[in-house]
Amino acid sequence: MVKKETAQAPLTPAVLHILLALSTGERHGYGIMKQVEADSQGKVKMGPGTLYGSMGRMMEAGLIRESDQRVDPGMDDERRIYYELTGAGRAALGAELQRYRGVVAVAEGRLTYGQ
Amino acid sequence: MASDVVGRRYRAWYGMLLRLYPRPFHEQFGVGMAQTFGDLCRERRGARKGLLGLAVWVYFETLAGIVRENSNHMTQLTRTVLRVALGALAMLMVPLVASLFIPDWHWGVGGFVFAYVMFFGTGMAYALIARHMGAWAYKAGVGLALATGFVMGWGSMVHMSESENPANLVYFGVLAVGAVGAWMARLEARGLSRALFAMAVVLALVGVVAVVLPWDAPSGPMGNVAAMHGLFVGLFAGAGLLFRQASLAGAK
Repeated sequence: MVKKETAQAPLTPAVLHILLALSTGERHGYGIMKQVEADSQGKVKMGPGTLYGSMGRMMEAGLIRESDQRVDPGMDDERRIYYELTGAGRAALGAELQRYRGVVAVAEGRLTYGQ
Repeated sequence: MASDVVGRRYRAWYGMLLRLYPRPFHEQFGVGMAQTFGDLCRERRGARKGLLGLAVWVYFETLAGIVRENSNHMTQLTRTVLRVALGALAMLMVPLVASLFIPDWHWGVGGFVFAYVMFFGTGMAYALIARHMGAWAYKAGVGLALATGFVMGWGSMVHMSESENPANLVYFGVLAVGAVGAWMARLEARGLSRALFAMAVVLALVGVVAVVLPWDAPSGPMGNVAAMHGLFVGLFAGAGLLFRQASLAGAK
């Protein structure tokens, strides 16, 4: 079940970045962290406390889920838990981007009117 | 080499720090967080940078997360306790109201207190174990074990208040075996299965003793005593089998 808080209300920056990082495929914790850093051009650096705390709440809300446990060939031989978006997570990301577009449209309208 | 030793030390300290998270959170994410910290250390070493700055930043950032998660956990627990306490109070209304209208219902204050403790205890056990629920067999096992334990405890209490025979306390011993077993198993299906089988065995032994050396056990005539013990032994063993099924399903 998707909780109202995460499905309807604006997402927190951490949740939005995690959803974005997972939108192109499943990743493990460190992979998500690096993708968030790349997506934000290094402006957002998420530590493990924020990352896993947000992921815990997102899993409770049904936005993401564990997908697999396997070795990442690009790293070491430890098995890692991978996470992926759920349908609800993809929908929440879409709704949030739509909300952003609306905000940008309003802001641009006002700026144009102001000029 | 020296940086490897330092890295291992930082990772060990981080592992200890992670233990401060609430247990469910630690069980779910502890390994992943430790791996992520190890990955960050590896990245830092690859870039030939020192680990101290990274370690201090991650420790503080994680500490903030620990405070946040513990505070959330406490709030949830308080809410659960309150909800179960109110639910138990609502259940207590049934015998309370009944005692006002049924002439033969003579419960003292102790009886109501005991009934409340039984309702509250069963409710809290269900609420706490429910966090671990996943497989249908686990859910069914929890439901069956708690319902059987509740009925047996309740029946023993009623019989004890009527017969005033303290020998019936032995049935609470059977429940204690289950409680200790569940605690030792940390609610894992495999351990719970053993705990339920142990309860069934202990109850079967009590049943044999009750038949051989009758002490006014809860069901009166010998045949009834054997049948009632057999029924509860079967129910506890059934719950044990359900946990075993859940354990096997989890291992696959």
